[in-house]
Amino acid sequence: MNFKQQRDAFRERKISAKEAVQNALERVKADQNNIFINHFETEALNIAEEIDNNFENFKGLPLSGVPIAHKDIFCTKNITTTCGSKMLENFKPPYDSTVVENCNNAGSIMIGKTNMDEFAMGSSNETSYFGPVDNPWNKKLVPGGSSGGAAACVAANITSISTGTDTGGSIRQPAALCGITGLKPTYGLVSRWGMIAFCSSMDQAGPFSKDAFGCAALLDAMSSFDIKDSTCSQRKEINYERCLDEDTKSLKIGVIKNLESFGISDSVLKAYEASLTILESLGHKLIEVDFSELSSGICSYYVIAPAECSSNLSRFDGVKFGHRTNKQQDISELYMSTRAEGFGDEVKKRILIGTHVLSAGFYDAYYLKAQKVRRMIKNKFEEMYKDVDLIFMPTTLDQAFEKNRQSEDPNRMYKEDLLTIPANLAGLPAISFPNGFQNGLPTGGQLIGNYFQEDLLLQLTNKIQEVTDWHKMTP
Amino acid sequence: MDKIELKNLLFLARINASDDEHPEIMKKLENTFKLIDEMQDLNLDGLEPLNNPLELNNVMRKDENKDRNDKSNFLENSPDSDDDYFIVPKIIE
Repeated sequence: MNFKQQRDAFRERKISAKEAVQNALERVKADQNNIFINHFETEALNIAEEIDNNFENFKGLPLSGVPIAHKDIFCTKNITTTCGSKMLENFKPPYDSTVVENCNNAGSIMIGKTNMDEFAMGSSNETSYFGPVDNPWNKKLVPGGSSGGAAACVAANITSISTGTDTGGSIRQPAALCGITGLKPTYGLVSRWGMIAFCSSMDQAGPFSKDAFGCAALLDAMSSFDIKDSTCSQRKEINYERCLDEDTKSLKIGVIKNLESFGISDSVLKAYEASLTILESLGHKLIEVDFSELSSGICSYYVIAPAECSSNLSRFDGVKFGHRTNKQQDISELYMSTRAEGFGDEVKKRILIGTHVLSAGFYDAYYLKAQKVRRMIKNKFEEMYKDVDLIFMPTTLDQAFEKNRQSEDPNRMYKEDLLTIPANLAGLPAISFPNGFQNGLPTGGQLIGNYFQEDLLLQLTNKIQEVTDWHKMTP
Repeated sequence: MDKIELKNLLFLARINASDDEHPEIMKKLENTFKLIDEMQDLNLDGLEPLNNPLELNNVMRKDENKDRNDKSNFLENSPDSDDDYFIVPKIIE
């Protein structure tokens, strides 16, 4: 069942919230792909019963009676929140994140917390302390990351919606590799309160669903102005679900000149070209734009994200919460051994890179320069948006890849984020949707909008999904 | 980066690593810097550094006590605490 069918079935009393939760929990228990870190039977069933007992109050809510899975990066009150790390294996936050609170208030029922790369650092879900997630289309392949569990959960039809976070592509890349729809909103649209920080100037939470409709409804629930996040935007309320019914005018869509020179695989290019034909057939005009600066985004990202991560993760010292070592001769040993034991290799590497680029003598050569590249990318987008309404490109360079590729060449894994990183550096909204099927695996197309144009991204994706069936395919 | 610089970096980041682990860590860092250093050839003259994409104004709330955080909840998560205090190894001899 997709999101709309699930919610309609509840609203029309064809299925109770309790039955919906029971069905979803059965699928969680049958899962062989390591999608969940934790799931909650008693708690979820109690909430479902409360919703059923107060049907009239809940039926009109955006996510009424729909089971949901949250990425295990969102704090959940008195419920273990691990962020995929040994460091937080037993951490029970004393509060709910705003995203979880908003989803609860919108009538959804949390059935579990999904697996992820440790502290959201990874593109394959292999850095998780709780083991890798298998791609539901092929168990030998990765589901993408860092929100790999959340994307696999929807792809495997365990829930019809899930939440994720995107710092350099962590919603869009797994959405593409798992064949579902995922949206990274404009930086500041969704509150970061209670979302465990990785790179605060890029981290942004967003929805996963099979289609644009589910993403729109979940975004309606997730986004809100929040005084507890000083970077959250105060803006006019939009109902994204209702926006889907509006007609999109003929849009000017930017397509990147010489896209094939960025190392995109043939199968992804083939799907991309087919999507261009669909966009034209829907009455939109394709305009070629030059974006030769695109590849510089990677260098900038892999300085800025580790820099912010080294600062954000300094809070994990074994004193106030999280893992603590048994080696406690003195305070220095307590800190150093706690962090050596609690963090995995990828997280340690990024902390070290971040510490290096922020240290005296290297700040100007790396951190400051990376921030200038970030300005260059943002300026380039502003220039392009003078001529076009949206930009279209593939989400990833290739389709889902085999596990353990990271150990062969970690830089190849980093370069995998080439097409998703620019939107994070500039803080722009972007959506990935299934746009083809090659070699038995899905491909993803990506639309990048101007600031706060989530409505336009969702509308256009919805129109594309009215004439294509890629989002209806199941593993 | 030499061995002394790596040791200093590990100390700054407060991450313990045995001497045996150093060559592997060094290799990984050098590999990543190969990627990052592609940035050094770019002409960035006249560009101001950008630290936040939206360049927002700070949002201030009224300076009122909301009593949002109950300290007993926070102390429950501590690996070692006593009464209102977090316990750590002796700092001053």
